[in-house]
Amino acid sequence: MNTNLKISNVTKIYPGCVANDNVSLEFNSGKIYALLGENGAGKSTLVKILSGVIIPDEGKIYLNENNLKLNSPLDAKKNDIGMVFQHFNLFETLSVFENLIIDSDEKREGLREKIDTIMKKYNFSIDLDIPVLNLSAGQKQKVEIIRSLIRNPKVLIMDEPTSVLTEQETSELFLSLKQFSEEGILIIYITHKLKEVMQLCDEVAVMRRGKLVSVSEIKNENIESLANKMVGQNLKTIKKTKEKTSSEQLIKITNLNFISDDPFETNLSDINFSVNRGECLGIAGISGNGQSELFQVLSGEIISDKNSIEFNKNYIGDLNPQERREYLMAFSPEDRLEQAAIPQMAIFENVALNNFKSSNFFNNGLINESKIKEHSKKIISDFNVNTDNIDLKSQFLSGGNLQKLIIGRELITSPDLLICFNPTWGLDVGAINYIHETLIKINEQNKSIILISTDTDELLKLSDKISVIHKGKLSKIMNAEEVTSEKLGILMGGGN
Amino acid sequence: MIKIVKRDQPSRAIFFLTPVLAIFLTLVAGGLIFYILGFKPFEALKFFFIVPIADKYGFSELLLKATPLCLIAIGLSFCFKSNNWNIGAEGQLTFGAIVSGGVALLFYEQEGFYILPIVILAGAIGGMLYASIPAILKTYFNTNEILVSLMLVYVSKLILDYLVVGPWSNPEGFNFPETRQFSDSAKLPLLFEGLRIHAGIFLALAAVVISWFVFYKTYLGFQMKVSGFSLKTAKYAGYKGKKMIILVFLISGACAGLAGVGEITGPIGQLHREISPDYGFTAIIVAFLGRLHPVGIIFASLVVAITYLGAETAQIFMQIPKYTGQVFQGMILFFLLASDYLLFFKFKFIGSKK
Repeated sequence: MNTNLKISNVTKIYPGCVANDNVSLEFNSGKIYALLGENGAGKSTLVKILSGVIIPDEGKIYLNENNLKLNSPLDAKKNDIGMVFQHFNLFETLSVFENLIIDSDEKREGLREKIDTIMKKYNFSIDLDIPVLNLSAGQKQKVEIIRSLIRNPKVLIMDEPTSVLTEQETSELFLSLKQFSEEGILIIYITHKLKEVMQLCDEVAVMRRGKLVSVSEIKNENIESLANKMVGQNLKTIKKTKEKTSSEQLIKITNLNFISDDPFETNLSDINFSVNRGECLGIAGISGNGQSELFQVLSGEIISDKNSIEFNKNYIGDLNPQERREYLMAFSPEDRLEQAAIPQMAIFENVALNNFKSSNFFNNGLINESKIKEHSKKIISDFNVNTDNIDLKSQFLSGGNLQKLIIGRELITSPDLLICFNPTWGLDVGAINYIHETLIKINEQNKSIILISTDTDELLKLSDKISVIHKGKLSKIMNAEEVTSEKLGILMGGGN
Repeated sequence: MIKIVKRDQPSRAIFFLTPVLAIFLTLVAGGLIFYILGFKPFEALKFFFIVPIADKYGFSELLLKATPLCLIAIGLSFCFKSNNWNIGAEGQLTFGAIVSGGVALLFYEQEGFYILPIVILAGAIGGMLYASIPAILKTYFNTNEILVSLMLVYVSKLILDYLVVGPWSNPEGFNFPETRQFSDSAKLPLLFEGLRIHAGIFLALAAVVISWFVFYKTYLGFQMKVSGFSLKTAKYAGYKGKKMIILVFLISGACAGLAGVGEITGPIGQLHREISPDYGFTAIIVAFLGRLHPVGIIFASLVVAITYLGAETAQIFMQIPKYTGQVFQGMILFFLLASDYLLFFKFKFIGSKK
């Protein structure tokens, strides 16, 4: 049976932002649709409306000509709309089967049979009786997919499903999605990754700033045309000009180990690497493989053995972040709102978080506000932060501006080494470009970077050398020219 | 139609208005309770809130009760601002009183200007020692400070009980559970003839000024602010988290200990079983009602102090149990938490204009 899903004039307004502005779209089964847009373009809002999480201010949704009233996720399920979110909604300590039975109306035995049939049909192999925390990200996603399939959905919505997957897992997922589509399930695939759209989808709808910009068939598009539609301008491409880097070693990590007493953290074992001046070392990996722990060990949030970190001929393994800053290191953590900055505090107060000795931000234990403010104004103008009010609470800065402020705050001391963790995560293309340019500039000034990132394209663009972290272990360090994204994918998944 | 809309940003005006609203709602609900109990609401509220402070004596009593509340709440605000949940100020008060009382007893029947400062200092140190227990357990053994500090309250009360009944009890006291009277040099001077208000109020005012200065003008205050918002950020900025946790507990313990000194070296002048009508717990309400702001805490301590006095007046004149005071304290906190909703949401009236 043919499934037809129609979104008609949907509008959703949040304070200060129109998330969906009069969006109308039509989908038919047998095809895979891409919903493409940058972060904040409104695709997530639209998807949440389809799955009943958000109720639109205006507009209607029709499934096979029936007007749907989606007031809760349960309504969406009842109307055969399945949804797999970007972040898994699974109980880590329960078994796979327990997770599946929670929101199912079926009896235990019947359900188990049904799951077995589904797994056989689509060639999934998951042990139903082990706790979810023992599964890989790809397997967890399959559990979520099975959960949707149990209800025989007419529509299956996938929200940025590949952000936690390896290259191999991604291609497995694509195979399954194509199989679902052939069986008549309408697939809507939300992403901002253009390559995936080209690989997988038949039609693409592009959103920008809450508006639907275009709907077209994939065969009439290419990556550049889609990128320009998505961003709304012609992008210049940044390229790192390869220069000979110096051979003077700046930082050397020897036999560094970290054993956490938190079961949800990753242990680091036997980390060894070094970075020369003017060099960018990229560390790739799927999130949750020890990146956060590695960052904390390097920044001094986690203190390690004194001799394990040698920086500029000093042993600094036992110093805290503030003390390491005095040796001209700088840090940009992954979490902008929870760690790198405090949203409830003013911009200038956030600047004072990087309190190095010569800054004189605090004299004899007293706050030197005029000094901090003077410094903040400099950062704002030097790093193009789009505001002139340093008393503004930093929560009112966009992600891109906040990240510029953070990078600016860290770079104002002209450090020898910047360690950054997913510096462009969740930013729009303009801001990403700016951050990338800044990072390249640092290298050109013979300063070094350690770039921990889950974005392979970013790593390939910026790094001179690349290593992959998997389950707390680093792979051998490779020259960036010899590396391809496929090779990284294999290493990220734990292969050789 | 009324619609509830999320605010873009917590309103600063509302931030200071909600405590006022909470007090108003408490009065309304209190009146209702009195009405249900068969009293005339306005008359009962008058007995509760106006009569007790209508004369000079009443006003002195108000300040007397507000002093320990203010002092403890100031100390607690250091802890609460940096996300350390010290619930055991009552215990720190008791232990501070024990130590300073012990020192005061050492100077039994001695006179000298140096005695009072030593007694006061001993109280502060006692409170600090007692507060350091949950602080050290939290920082080095990952215990929960809420539980530890709360349990230690009961320990301190039992220690006090033991001392006043046993080794420290007055030899000429006919076995009453109390110590000897302290010498005059070990007592805080009374400010006015015939009134009970004593010099302890200056300790509270000094604490207010100092805490304002520390919070808003020093690096230490800045670090506490940052840690209060996000411990991860504090760690990233390189602040010495453990030291700071211990420090705020010590400050808080010292303030509670000083409040204990005020209770025993003020009008009473001896250690006995019940030195505090739960000032240490009530001060938690005061701290939040005052929005953890030094000036706010002054006002909050006065408001909450009235509930103590009102409960006594109401017991005398209306034969209502004095525990009604605690009901009022509970209601204030309840309504305060409830009206905090308005910080983040506002009511929008739709349809009135056409």
